[in-house]
Amino acid sequence: MNTLTKENKEEVLKQSAEKDVKTPARIYSPNVDVFETEAELLFRVEMPGVDQSSVEISIEKDQLILEGKFVPPAESRGQVRLAEYREGNYFRKFTIGKAIHSDKATAKMKNGILELTIPKMEPKKTKIEIQK
Amino acid sequence: MLFRILDPQTKANQFWRDFDRLNDELTRSILDSQFGSASNFPPVNVYTKEEEALVTCLLPGIEADQIDINVKDNLLSIHGKKKAEELAEGTEVHRREIFNGEFHRTLELPFRVDQDHVLAKFTNGVLNIHLPRREEDKPKKVSIIAG
Repeated sequence: MNTLTKENKEEVLKQSAEKDVKTPARIYSPNVDVFETEAELLFRVEMPGVDQSSVEISIEKDQLILEGKFVPPAESRGQVRLAEYREGNYFRKFTIGKAIHSDKATAKMKNGILELTIPKMEPKKTKIEIQK
Repeated sequence: MLFRILDPQTKANQFWRDFDRLNDELTRSILDSQFGSASNFPPVNVYTKEEEALVTCLLPGIEADQIDINVKDNLLSIHGKKKAEELAEGTEVHRREIFNGEFHRTLELPFRVDQDHVLAKFTNGVLNIHLPRREEDKPKKVSIIAG
C-alpha cells in the first residue's frame, strides 16, 4: 500500500493547486442587445465581473468577436450555500458584414455592460453616364 | 451571426441570416448563459464563513443608487428596477436579450445578521454584500475542566 510522507503530501497539494490555476475557465455566452441606426451599429453586451482592461474586441473581415476575461477574487469567500450562477469568461461572435468602419469603432464599459458602436459606411453612389 | 447590413433583401441573404441565427443559437446552447429566467433575476450566490455571510449577485447595467437592500434578522431582500434605454426614432432592433424591468429577491440566511455592520459594494455590475453574524449568535468555544 502506498503511504504519502508529509513532504510527498505537500508536493501533491502543490501540484493540484497548480493544476487548478491552469484549468481553463468556463466560457459563457453573454446576453446582447443589437441595434442599428442609419449611421451605426450598437452592441450592448452583459459582462458582469469583467474589468474594462479585460475586454477584447476584434473585427476581422466580417466577423466581430467579443471576449471578456473574468478575474476570480483573491481571498476565499467561504462555503458555498447557494450557487445560481458560475463565474467564467465571456465569448460572443457576430457576422456583421463588411460595410463598416471598424477603425472608427468606439467602446466603453460601465457597470458590467460593454457598449460598442461601429459606424456604417455610406452606400457608394456611382453616377453612370448614358452614352448617346 | 445575425445580419448583413446594406445587403438587399434577397432570398440568399435571408438564408444567411437564418444560418447565422441558428449558428449563434447553437453556440449559445453549448456555452450556456449565466442568466436564467426573469423570475430568477438577479442570479445570486451565497457563501458563509463562521463570522459572516457573503451574498454576490449579477446586476449589470444598473446604477448603485437604483438598488435597495434591506436586512431584518436573517432575511435579506434586494429590490430595484432596470430601465431599458430609450432608442432614437428609426432604430432597428436586431436582438434584445438583456433583461429590463423590476426585480425582487428575498434570501433566508443561516444566521441572524448584525444589521449595523452590513457592507455592500458594487463593482463592474456585481453586487457583493457582506453580512456579519450577530455577536451573540457566534459559536462559543466551551472549555472543558479536567475532573
